[in-house]
Amino acid sequence: MAQMLEGIRVLEFATNVAGPFAGKLLADYGAQVLKVEPPNGDPARQAGPFPDDIPHPEKSGLFLHLNTNKQSMTLNLEAEEGRQIARRLIANADVVIDDFRPGLLAEYGLDYETMSAGHPDLVMASITPFGQSGPWRDYTGTEITLQAMGGPLHGNGAPYREPAKLGGHTAHYHAGIATSLAILLARFRVEAGGAGDWIDQSVYEAQAGFRDRRTISLTAAAYSGLSSHRQPPGSRTAVGVRPAIDGYVNILGGGTKRFGGFLDEIGRPDLKEHPDFGKQVHLYSPEYHEQVEGSYLAWLFETPKLEAVARTQRHGILGGAIMSTEDLVNDPHYRGRGVWETIDHPATGPLEYPGRQLILSESPKAPARPAPLLGAQTVDILTQLGYSRDALPRLRAQGVI
Amino acid sequence: MTSDTRRTRDAAHRLPLEGIRVADITVVWAGPHVTQLLAEWGADIVRVEPVTTIQPYSRGAERINTEATYRNLGATGVTMGIPPDFNPGADPWNRSPAFNAHARNKRSMACDVRLPEGREAFLRLIEHCDVLVENNVPETIERAHITYDVLREVNPRLIMLRMPAYGLNGPYKNYRGFGTHVEGMIGHHLIRTYDDGNPDEMGDAFTADAIAGVMGAWAVTAALRHRARTGQGQQIEMPLAESFLPVIGEYIMDYTMNRRPTGPQGNRHPSHAPHGIYPAAGEDQWIAIDVATDEGFQALCRVLDAPTLAADERFRTAGSRVDHRAELDAAVGEATRGHDKDALFHALQAVHVAAGPVHNDLDATRSPHLEARGFFEELTMEGVGTHRYPGIFTKWVNTPNWIRTPPAKLGEHNREIYIDLLGYSQAEYDALCARGLVGTTYTPDVLAARD
Repeated sequence: MAQMLEGIRVLEFATNVAGPFAGKLLADYGAQVLKVEPPNGDPARQAGPFPDDIPHPEKSGLFLHLNTNKQSMTLNLEAEEGRQIARRLIANADVVIDDFRPGLLAEYGLDYETMSAGHPDLVMASITPFGQSGPWRDYTGTEITLQAMGGPLHGNGAPYREPAKLGGHTAHYHAGIATSLAILLARFRVEAGGAGDWIDQSVYEAQAGFRDRRTISLTAAAYSGLSSHRQPPGSRTAVGVRPAIDGYVNILGGGTKRFGGFLDEIGRPDLKEHPDFGKQVHLYSPEYHEQVEGSYLAWLFETPKLEAVARTQRHGILGGAIMSTEDLVNDPHYRGRGVWETIDHPATGPLEYPGRQLILSESPKAPARPAPLLGAQTVDILTQLGYSRDALPRLRAQGVI
Repeated sequence: MTSDTRRTRDAAHRLPLEGIRVADITVVWAGPHVTQLLAEWGADIVRVEPVTTIQPYSRGAERINTEATYRNLGATGVTMGIPPDFNPGADPWNRSPAFNAHARNKRSMACDVRLPEGREAFLRLIEHCDVLVENNVPETIERAHITYDVLREVNPRLIMLRMPAYGLNGPYKNYRGFGTHVEGMIGHHLIRTYDDGNPDEMGDAFTADAIAGVMGAWAVTAALRHRARTGQGQQIEMPLAESFLPVIGEYIMDYTMNRRPTGPQGNRHPSHAPHGIYPAAGEDQWIAIDVATDEGFQALCRVLDAPTLAADERFRTAGSRVDHRAELDAAVGEATRGHDKDALFHALQAVHVAAGPVHNDLDATRSPHLEARGFFEELTMEGVGTHRYPGIFTKWVNTPNWIRTPPAKLGEHNREIYIDLLGYSQAEYDALCARGLVGTTYTPDVLAARD
């Protein structure tokens, strides 16, 4: 069965998270993605986690996850011959993804203007911290600094201490999806007879347009002249995170239309007769708050988190448990739906990975190929470009590959 | 918007989704973000919304609130429901920041798909659409009999994106949740918890909505490409939970490799130190600093004028700084405390240290960089006012793009959709309006039932 993105040829000159995730999405659903790595490899190969914590460039969990279904070649763009090879590769590609600092592509003679001359179908996507223009264009940006400036970081955490970032590389994963979306849109236009383009994705701007509160809070700020603040834990009655006997739950009880069922479930149907019942949660009296919370916490003290969620869900109450990765990987719901994919890799052997995000009725995702060994396809690709095998030792000696 | 001169595109650089029509029966946050993104790149979004019931957490009008309530909420830092100038007006459903942040470029059609007349109109709309996006609890779609097997009979080329919280089958199939509940159920809440704190300190995050929104638009675009090549429509099932899993992939891999669950990470980094959010001058003012190398640490100490920090044996190498993270963070915090966050940001960037001021919502709206890039756009909603909205978060260098129409008011496009698009006669349309099935406000009994 045809995969959705079959026939799209992608070159990925990108490292770490954002660019490689953009490329992975394309590769996982059928595009042909060649990852062009610097001679010492994508730094994600050094990032881990590693099996038994023993660093090895072919065993980084971050790299293995982000580079499924790709091919790899090494190429040194600091060398003129490396750049010549890159030009020939780009001439035969539909899509180029890069994460070079602004201006570097032009210094290499690989910029969109140069490369799209005679190749108007080309889609180039450049991911940078701040974009290709603007006063902070050349500033350094990393996950935590870009979340801090662009995203909802200020609103995460408790009011009595510093705010906290979202997990892992959330901003860069998000920017990677945004870039991949732009690539698909541009390619869709090209295949319908339109032109390619140069996509300028700033991670900062992706954060400023982040649907995790940011666009909403920025609109609210324009409406009210106010900023949102971090809220004290436990301040909203029967809303938010509370301890259960074996962990934590996050259940939306207080102030909702389903609050009666919630009170039934925790054994306090009498609190439905209280004058505050039916009010919005911020209008409850301190006395009602204390009564509800006391009974709720006592109920949770003898109820496991997933049971508390199941019992409140029966009443149509929104909520969930706070799971660890251990809970998650062993949870029968996710396992039963087949979200984990076992991928065999020559260096690590078979491991479970996060698999498909999408279940497609007509073009299902094919089983994944493992991430490539560093430079696994270098020889094949150069041979296709017409280099003889005799030339390879010279290219290696000159540091081109 | 600096000038109208950039508001031109030639045919080769048209918006890629021009000519694509999307029926939108999404609610709350994630689904509407999918259609926001599709709209930004040219699709015609027809939002199908009942006036015979108020969809909770969507247009934000299910409760009656006064200006005083909104001012009190604002004073406690809860802003996301506040209407312009704290005034709910006569039509609070057109004044919600959470709704209006996504509803630009969309059209709104009053239609309750659960009623026979609404179903008839909805099925006629499906005939005219390329895509349907929904993010309801699965049983809601099943009860309304608008599952893919039914709709493909109406339109075999239809692409239907379904975004339940957890999936169309499995034990959690009909579990209800917002993004914040889902990100707990997939392990993110615990990872984003303070490394010396507890999950109940973190408050809500809606990261799963943000990720699923972009990923849903990606899935629709990929399926459109597939359809253009093969003629096939299809159903795409993309649970919020599952679209998020890859975003914490490295932590999942640590478990599958080493059977090691990831505990709370807070602001720490496995190999960078200092790496965190440090106090700056003023109330609730902070700066993010991320140092990966020893040279970076020395540069930081010079800018902070902290020679004792620079000379401290415990902080001499990256490994040692990571080992003494708590002492290091305390010492760096003491050194940053008196600095203006913006001045320190520029001073550190000048020596190539990654630093960024923590921007609260108002700071963010005043960012000179976003301003120079034209990120914010001014839009006028008739009767609601003129305000600056976050704009389009991806730039295409040769395809200027802008927000074409302001956020859609409830039922604002009823007439053009029912009559011009779906072919209802004026008399049929008038009859639907007279019966309260179509309109631009909720029906009187629905409004009277609010409290």
